[in-house]
Amino acid sequence: MLTWSTAAPAIAAAFLASLVEVVEAFTIVLAAATLRGWRPAALGTAAGLCLLAGVVLLLGPVLDGIPIQALQLAIGVLLLLFGMSWLRKASLRAAGVIPLHDEDAIFATEADHLGEAAQRRGKSLDWVAGMTALKAVVLEGLEVVFIIIAIGAGHGLLLPASAGALAACVLVLGLGAIIHRPLSRVPENMLKFGVGVMLSAFGVFWIGEGLGAAWPGADLALFPIAALWLAAALLGAALARKAAVEIAT
Amino acid sequence: MKFLLAIAVELVAMFAGDSRLTIGVLAIVATAGLLIGVAGFEPLTGASLLFVGCLILLIDNVRRFAASR
Repeated sequence: MLTWSTAAPAIAAAFLASLVEVVEAFTIVLAAATLRGWRPAALGTAAGLCLLAGVVLLLGPVLDGIPIQALQLAIGVLLLLFGMSWLRKASLRAAGVIPLHDEDAIFATEADHLGEAAQRRGKSLDWVAGMTALKAVVLEGLEVVFIIIAIGAGHGLLLPASAGALAACVLVLGLGAIIHRPLSRVPENMLKFGVGVMLSAFGVFWIGEGLGAAWPGADLALFPIAALWLAAALLGAALARKAAVEIAT
Repeated sequence: MKFLLAIAVELVAMFAGDSRLTIGVLAIVATAGLLIGVAGFEPLTGASLLFVGCLILLIDNVRRFAASR
């Protein structure tokens, strides 16, 4: 029986992670569309989305056949590695140690590269624009696919996680269609913090279950675990900022 | 071919963006598994130690990286 305490974190994690990745993919698709119009960019995007949906439909049910404890342990380790990697980057960006993601700069660079690539390879601009959109959607979407499969597999959460990801796609594409500019005002680092916290919490929770631990409060244990991850990431950012200042002075 | 290579690179980068962090997490998970499976620790104790170890690893990794720049 699916409960909100289980489904809500899965939907939220898939939605927020997808928001970050779809914004990044949208910037490149927009650059392709600006160069050659919406048709090749939309075709490339549609092909990329079909490819990603195929991976989810193929891998999701396959993973359902693996014994639950082994699956929890394996997926838990991958989620922990993935989530902690996002938290690390988000903490370093918050501390000013590495630069924030700049969608406007990426858009300008990508638009330049597209023109050069068409000339260099001697292919039509339509082909280059379509392939660029396809590549952007597939590469950025891989992380979303992993999150959907990891959160959904073995827990009957494939549908809620997919719904969260789909909602993010619709939101970003809708906004993008209206404003026709890179979505540079999306607080990407804050979203990365949130997603990193949730994925790391899921990772620890499932590794624990995979090792045979029964967490106090069952699924509700996810919330204090997530709170402690957030506290650790913020503490890490504060210490990193202090270390950076000490080096600079 | 280039496209498949880009996918492979992206997949590796997803889980092993920073080698110190990756090795640290895997070592902590392995230690927790050994504590539970071999040393006879309660699973919840082993899982809690794993959690605390990962929290410390993240804080230390971020601080060290900033200090080395």
